[in-house]
Amino acid sequence: MPHFEKIEYKPIPVRELLLEMKNLSELMIDLAYSAALFNDKELAEDVIELESRVDTLAYLLDMEIMVAARDPKDAQALIGVSTVAAATDKISDAAADIAAIVTRNIGVHPIVGAIFEKVEERLMQAIVKQDSAIAGKQIGELDLAASMGVDIIAIRRNKEWIINPEDTERVFRGDVLITRGAPIGIKDFKDLADGKHAKPEESP
Amino acid sequence: MTEQEKFEEIVARFVELKDTSELMMDLAYSSLLLNSRELAEEVQRLEEYVDQLHTDFELLALTSDFKKEEASGFLGLIRLGVATEKIADAAAEMAEVVLRGIEPHPVLKLTIKEAEETVTQACVTDNSPLANKTLKEARVHEETGMWVLVIKRGGKCLRPKADSRIQTGDILIASGYAEGVEDLKKLASPEELCPIE
Repeated sequence: MPHFEKIEYKPIPVRELLLEMKNLSELMIDLAYSAALFNDKELAEDVIELESRVDTLAYLLDMEIMVAARDPKDAQALIGVSTVAAATDKISDAAADIAAIVTRNIGVHPIVGAIFEKVEERLMQAIVKQDSAIAGKQIGELDLAASMGVDIIAIRRNKEWIINPEDTERVFRGDVLITRGAPIGIKDFKDLADGKHAKPEESP
Repeated sequence: MTEQEKFEEIVARFVELKDTSELMMDLAYSSLLLNSRELAEEVQRLEEYVDQLHTDFELLALTSDFKKEEASGFLGLIRLGVATEKIADAAAEMAEVVLRGIEPHPVLKLTIKEAEETVTQACVTDNSPLANKTLKEARVHEETGMWVLVIKRGGKCLRPKADSRIQTGDILIASGYAEGVEDLKKLASPEELCPIE
């Protein structure tokens, strides 16, 4: 049985909750398709984890709206917010459905991934290991776009997600990086994060 | 059709389904940001198109004579289609808020503006390098990172094609990462402020 986080009312601005729901639901779609098309279990598990985060946010947001609505005028002004929040929740559910194709070992026919590999960039997860050359560096210093055609689109650090991190953000040992790029580039980057070689151009 | 061609056809339908659902999300957020009925109606039209596409895709997948050991892979494909259709539904539900005459709450507009992936509008002034260029020549995505979703011209919404010519007075509705918004506005209206802001 999945673990359900206990819900307690916390005063958090509606804007913050909705923003996180929107950002996460869109990240989840990208992660989920990439997981399904390339049969990537790690990405699929990230999506499942994010899904429960979005569910929690949906509870918190509903409570904020209930507290905020004091009269019919408020209710009419806020109904749009709750409808849009519910739609982002539905999108994150759909992403989790896609991820479940992978985690339940159903799999999408491999020829689909083969066709996609030619046209689409894919996402991949890389974990920063202790002896990796990138540990402690700022994203901007790594110059990934130029050297490998890779972009870091999200970082998972402990339980927190940083989406679309700034160039000044540092990556640390143990960080889970979600990268986007051409298939070869992101495999090279995964090796780099793993500490398998210092830099791709220096490897024999 | 050879087996390979059949697969390519199924994948092509799926790509269309996926691209359309993602366009619908962008347009739905745009309709909320701008409180635009036209954009919301476009989302509803696309929702009908997606339903048709989804049915075609499922029929094509189910009628390809796959081998027994491929059944699981085809089930995965079908489920991928169902989830994609669900995303399109969610987009249509967002756009419905506008069509029901609910004035989008300022919090909604703020959220859409502040999100990592956002939508925006820019109007093309006559000193813009975009004026009188086709979308292909204008290279908007290369220059700004933003994708043009819709061209609004005289109250009509036009779906952009590579050979669509951008005219002075057009309003471009575009999506992309927030960094690109200012670049797009500068490109479309170089000196003056956009009269629609």
